[in-house]
Amino acid sequence: MTDAIDSGLNNQIISFGRGVFADLGDVEESPFSIRYWNSRLMQWSMSMPDFKVNLFRLVDVLPTLKTPEAVGEHVRQYLTGAANRLHPSMGWIVGLSDSAIGKVLTNFLVSHGVRQMAGLFIAGSSPREALKALRRMRRNGYCFTVDLLGEFCVCEQEALDYQARYLDALETFGSTIPGWREGAPLMPGHPGESSPVCISVKLSALYSQTGALNFRRSVDVLSDRLSEIARAAQKRGALVYVDAEDSGNNPIIYETFKRVFGSPEFASMPYPGIVIQAYSKSAEARVAEMLQFARARGAPIAIRLVKGAYWDFERVISAQNDWEFPLWTQKESSDACFERLSRILLDNAELCLPAFGSHNIRSLSHACCYAEQRGLTPKDFEIQVLYGMAEPIAQAFKSRGYLTRMYVPLGDLLPGMGYLVRRLLENTSNESFLRHTFFEAEEVSSLLREPHFSEPHDLAEDQPRAAFAAPEGPESVVVNLDY
Amino acid sequence: METITTFRNEPLRDFSEERNRSDMEVALSEVESLIRSKALHAAPIVAGRRREGEEPMQRRDPSNTSVVVGTTELASVKLAEEAMLSCLAGFPGWRARPFSERAAILQRAAGILKEKSAFLAALIVREAGKPWREADADVAEAIDFCAYYAQEMLRVGPARRTQDVLGEDNVLLYQPRGVAAVISPWNFPLAITCGMAAAALVTGNTVILKPAEQTGLIAHELARVFFDAGVPADALAFLPGRGETVGRFLVEHPSTALVAFTGSRPVGLEIAKAAAEVRPGQRGLKRVIAELGGKNAIIVDDDADFDDAIRGVLQSAFGFAGQKCSACSRLIVVGDAYEPFLARLAAATRDIIVSRAEDPSAFLGPVIDEESQARIASVIEAGEQQCPVLAQAVLPQEVSRSGTFVAPTIFRDVPSTSALWTDEIFGPVLACARAATFEQALEMAVASDYALTGGVYSRHPGHIEKAREHFRVGNLYINRSITGALVGRQPFGGFAFSGIGSKAGGPDYLLQFLEPRVVTENTMRRGFSPDLTS
Repeated sequence: MTDAIDSGLNNQIISFGRGVFADLGDVEESPFSIRYWNSRLMQWSMSMPDFKVNLFRLVDVLPTLKTPEAVGEHVRQYLTGAANRLHPSMGWIVGLSDSAIGKVLTNFLVSHGVRQMAGLFIAGSSPREALKALRRMRRNGYCFTVDLLGEFCVCEQEALDYQARYLDALETFGSTIPGWREGAPLMPGHPGESSPVCISVKLSALYSQTGALNFRRSVDVLSDRLSEIARAAQKRGALVYVDAEDSGNNPIIYETFKRVFGSPEFASMPYPGIVIQAYSKSAEARVAEMLQFARARGAPIAIRLVKGAYWDFERVISAQNDWEFPLWTQKESSDACFERLSRILLDNAELCLPAFGSHNIRSLSHACCYAEQRGLTPKDFEIQVLYGMAEPIAQAFKSRGYLTRMYVPLGDLLPGMGYLVRRLLENTSNESFLRHTFFEAEEVSSLLREPHFSEPHDLAEDQPRAAFAAPEGPESVVVNLDY
Repeated sequence: METITTFRNEPLRDFSEERNRSDMEVALSEVESLIRSKALHAAPIVAGRRREGEEPMQRRDPSNTSVVVGTTELASVKLAEEAMLSCLAGFPGWRARPFSERAAILQRAAGILKEKSAFLAALIVREAGKPWREADADVAEAIDFCAYYAQEMLRVGPARRTQDVLGEDNVLLYQPRGVAAVISPWNFPLAITCGMAAAALVTGNTVILKPAEQTGLIAHELARVFFDAGVPADALAFLPGRGETVGRFLVEHPSTALVAFTGSRPVGLEIAKAAAEVRPGQRGLKRVIAELGGKNAIIVDDDADFDDAIRGVLQSAFGFAGQKCSACSRLIVVGDAYEPFLARLAAATRDIIVSRAEDPSAFLGPVIDEESQARIASVIEAGEQQCPVLAQAVLPQEVSRSGTFVAPTIFRDVPSTSALWTDEIFGPVLACARAATFEQALEMAVASDYALTGGVYSRHPGHIEKAREHFRVGNLYINRSITGALVGRQPFGGFAFSGIGSKAGGPDYLLQFLEPRVVTENTMRRGFSPDLTS
């Protein structure tokens, strides 16, 4: 394994990526669609960072508000009230609610509602309600994995309710989707299409006392509860991914995954999925651990490679505690790590089904081109994107013959708010590939440039650490949010 | 806004790392073997010598009262008098040491504490019944106090010119007060004991340290750390003893210049009164620094993030079984949020893991001793006559039989006249009430004898502003738990009946252990002034 790729492959990636960019076309949409307003609002908020903070805080609180008066009060508070006094630069916005644009905005937020904005990213509140959207997805040539949004669970009843929702989802999907005409494999022979039903489980919410100090019991209880879900999935022939979370919970999650899918009962279950976060400094060790697990298990697993979604949270936690930051500080390092791990996964395609979860065209192009160079076929891996986030990109990869899976969250708006805010942040972040791609028309060549580790990392022994620049100070941190 | 300090706190252990968990396991088994071999023993240290007490006191593990953790020998009043004479004699020498040397000694103490941190945390787990995370925080805070006050002494220590004026030299400097009686509590047996003693020592006072009877072993470890770091034998006396005898004697002694106390309100008031009385031979007014109780409220607004608020309330109310002066003992929920919030809080409380403190999964351990257990149980019993119980966790039989456990209990619809609402309980008991509006909630929150900590969960910017202005307590926390103040980051302490303005771990703290002096010299002689000729 070398850390760099040869220039031939890199040229191939760039030309592949250019092709994808050319396919994206014009994403401008009708002013009558919610999507149009979403992108308008996003554009507007990006041009005013202070406004963005207030807007997102407002979006965060809206679903808990029960009356129109409360909604009106909070709109006024966040957009014209005390919040602006905290940010003197926002003085101009006072009186906004009387202005034309303010009326449009207020109207957008209150009457059209955040509900609709959330509807861009959340396919429905229940499995049954989502069937239509899922059917449409498959008709359009995409497979899916469903994630059930849940509140943080504070008690066992909530944990068990959450588990019951997964069991219900498997029942609902398992009893309908395989019977659809659209349930037939999109790509016969692809392991990811051994079933049209696939779920992604947020493990920590299955036990209210999940915690590092409660490690043993957490793994025990979560293993039992995940096993029940796995059993239901096995009965329906459905696929299961276990999502990764923050560094505090991840050791419990990986341990539970290994315990459940290494047990005799599930030893033959096809392609149980786990997630590796490339933004983590320990991602490469995790990949090695999971490949080792697959080898010991004697049957392959699925590994979804993502950049990771908890960067800001982890940054705050480690800064407040003065702990070593477990993630890459620079986004480019995450990108470089993603490519390096992509190659490792593809080199081990007999042990795992790699699923490349990203909206970064460079990252995905790299995976596709490297696979081709290795003589692999589109049946050996898949692409994953978030529902509602990057359809033109999904379209471009699907039309190139790659199995493309949408990660589809379902749930009520209230528990979905954290997810929605993360997606909005992602779309508007300075470092968002989507922002650069769709809103700022940044130079294609710069978006497709090969990423390099910009901070020390563990390399093969022939590469001295000193060859890399010292890590930047905290002021220069950037987010890693390409899914 | 200006930032006060660049101080870096001792990091808490990240228990998601396996090696940190196993460090604690190892330390706990080390302490266990010391307990088995009956090796844990604390005796008074006066003039640098180990002395015998008049009464050996066995300390039982509150998680398992059949186990004796160790023995603390309680000092006699006669020995207290010896300690006073020794510390009086040692004062001029300790005062004369350059402040930078005293700061360096504290820095060394911080280093030693850090080396022994796992062992000390494990001892706290067994002697005080503190769960892992809280025991670790107790040690980290002790390290912080030493390092922070050392840094502060370097800031406060140098003499400063008050003003530039021709022909006159005006210098402000601080001097220590004399012999300080440090009377510390059992709830932060290392951190608070260390904080008060370190502040008194680094400022040049000599210290008679009288720890709580329940936690003499951990205080003894601390005293040894101070001596190992270089505190002279006649600058510190370790004097475990009964509050009613030795404590009283030290407070009333005419040679005592300063009393630093953390503990209950009744004892604090008694100390203030006793210290105010002038006795024969006394050479000045005594200074009392007291950190007393709290009846701290959290307000949950109707737009709050319930997920966060429930976790924050549980942590604040039941962390270390509510035995913190900063703990939340009143919950005020605004408007229609009352019922749904209480429903989730009740369910969450029932599922808390109550276990022996050495069990890492324990969210809640025992209370400090049988006396506390009985007292809290009677408060709960009396409360049940007045107010509906919202929730009570069920104690697993194996723990309730073995130790001094109290089931965390929440009362609802508690009227403001109830003792549950007004009196500090110092146990895992929470009283809830509904407020019609946020403004009413604020009024209810501040209508208390105490003013220590408080909390607000709200996403209404105007309400947050109002809370900043009107929720007048020593430490107000917005959208987070209300315990766990960090040295330097959240200088800690309250007013009203919560204490005498002692912001521990803040820039004002050391000054209370010092007396300011100003020296003015006329430098002009016969019209000749050095500042004009040079």
